[in-house]
Amino acid sequence: MNETPTPVDAQRWRRLGGWVRLHARPRESERRGLGSLRLAETTLLILFALLLAIATVNDVVQQTHVNHRLIADLATWRAATGHDYHNIGVEQDIKEHSTRDTVCGNVSPGAPKQRTQICLRVAGPTVAGRRKVSGGYYLPPRSEDEASLRYGCFGSAVQAGLCRH
Amino acid sequence: MNDPPAGLPARQAGERPLSAVVKDPPAQPLRSRGAHAGRALARWAPVLAGVCTLVLLAATLEIVLDGAAGHSPLIPKSPSIAGWLGGVGERLGFRVFLIALLSYTAAYAGLLALARTLSARWAIALVSALSLIVFAGPVLISTDVFSYIAYARMGAVHGVNPYLHGPQAIVTDPIYHYVGHDWKLVATAYGPLYTLISYPLGLLGVVGAVWGMKLMALLAAAGTLALTWRCAPVRGLDRRFALLAVGANPLWVIYALGGAHNDLVMIFLTMLAVALTLVGARALWRRRSLVAGADGGASAAGTGTGAVGVHNEAGAGAAIMAGTLVKATGFVALPFLLIARRRLAPLLGAAAVAVAVAFVAYLVFGIHGIDIVAALNRDSAFVSTDSFPTEIAHLLGKPGVFPIDHDLLKILLVAIVLHLLWRTWRGYDWVAASGWTFLAIAVTSTWLLAWYTLWSLPLAAVSRDRRLLVATLAVQGLFIAHQTAPLWAPVS
Repeated sequence: MNETPTPVDAQRWRRLGGWVRLHARPRESERRGLGSLRLAETTLLILFALLLAIATVNDVVQQTHVNHRLIADLATWRAATGHDYHNIGVEQDIKEHSTRDTVCGNVSPGAPKQRTQICLRVAGPTVAGRRKVSGGYYLPPRSEDEASLRYGCFGSAVQAGLCRH
Repeated sequence: MNDPPAGLPARQAGERPLSAVVKDPPAQPLRSRGAHAGRALARWAPVLAGVCTLVLLAATLEIVLDGAAGHSPLIPKSPSIAGWLGGVGERLGFRVFLIALLSYTAAYAGLLALARTLSARWAIALVSALSLIVFAGPVLISTDVFSYIAYARMGAVHGVNPYLHGPQAIVTDPIYHYVGHDWKLVATAYGPLYTLISYPLGLLGVVGAVWGMKLMALLAAAGTLALTWRCAPVRGLDRRFALLAVGANPLWVIYALGGAHNDLVMIFLTMLAVALTLVGARALWRRRSLVAGADGGASAAGTGTGAVGVHNEAGAGAAIMAGTLVKATGFVALPFLLIARRRLAPLLGAAAVAVAVAFVAYLVFGIHGIDIVAALNRDSAFVSTDSFPTEIAHLLGKPGVFPIDHDLLKILLVAIVLHLLWRTWRGYDWVAASGWTFLAIAVTSTWLLAWYTLWSLPLAAVSRDRRLLVATLAVQGLFIAHQTAPLWAPVS
């Protein structure tokens, strides 16, 4: 069972021990010959940075377009209702990712959502700073835009079945 | 254990010779290289640096004073802590904020380019002034600090376990109204060490706790800057540049300090580990070494007797684990330290802190207090509009990231970490490898916040691989650029 190691085995073990000692020792600096690796890393980094930069610029442009749309939505709501209120909420269509927005605001002066609200469904391109109102509904005071609370649907909101009352 | 002969600081493997680090070059104009343009720049450098300094101070003051006026979408609803500043500024809108932020960023870039022409006193004074202005003002941008206080008050005042319940459990507590809407039902994701540290602050009342949190953030930031100052010359880097790169960074000042984020505590502990391995514990404690050379005199690195011994490595491991127990992301640095040093000491130091804190955390919070992996898994599923994966998804025409994208991002992150571990094994700088990993986590995360891009910044400032600093600043630049949409199309 306990065989005595032959000189060849001992030499192998010594060599293995030396290899372990060599590789387990902390290195003072990185091995030579990594110039091409560094070049590859830098190239990848630059390409990745380029991708991030393009994605960022694209996102900013998209957001700017959305903001322009929101500005048109607000102007449309103010023109349609004749109220120059500032606390108006805009909800985007996050389900279908269309450009149809819903803009809600009080029908009389008051804190946000504290009065009866009129919500307008706004769609289409921006023309002269406005968009087209396709329909809408009302919400009672102090309520969120939930299906069970909507009433008085008109226009496209009727066809879409947005009101239960 | 491995102390050097008296009077001679031990050098870490691969560091520059002592002669190169003993002295900082004094503040001086840019050297003219014979070119007329160079001489002109040298002549104008102090003026340009002065202008950049003024812009930094003015932009910070603008944000803080306007923020103190209240009723701003950028200032979270907050207990009155900066009311005495309220009458000076006007309501902070997106437009003013973004113009101030962009001006600040441009001035910061200019100042970094001119850093070597500044005196060390100037750099220290500027960074101190920026930090104190923000400290004196309201909480900026984020409601996170109110979540920290809510969790502290849940445990310290109401006896509710913050690892089991969200702030919703203390609806009657005055802090509840200030907690961000999205976080009211969410149990804490922070490490047990941080929660334990924050408990005493919860007893100070809401206003006292806010000041306590702001003070903790300020001290952590100051500590990080002091350590950056000490470590830079050891790496043969200009410490004025390193100090300004971190301490005057727009996201550092406005977002992290302004919001009193606990990331600063984690970053401080990570930097403490770096400093313990680079400078040594004894040199770190020398007061003289921290302040000496304010005008480019003797460098701390050369005056200390900082042996990079077993105790320091154990301390470094302990510091990283302490950072992990503040915020789990801090763990990132430990494998790189272990692979670079290949000794048991860092592992033992880390294990000692882990066991000690886990024991106390178990007694106080139960098993949930030590299960920080569950919180990480939960948070990794969040998605923010500022994250780079979301931006890339938009670029590809998708509405956002999907579960498959999360998996792909995890695979990419694992590949990056494995590559860095392999390189560290071959001798690559473990500080840089840790920094790259922090940056990779921020970039691949679907939940990116401004202060996440700061994790790698102090490491980048003292790293030998200057690509890391460039990459970190580039990522931050893109983050800032992404905020600017309201500037091009302001909605009102």
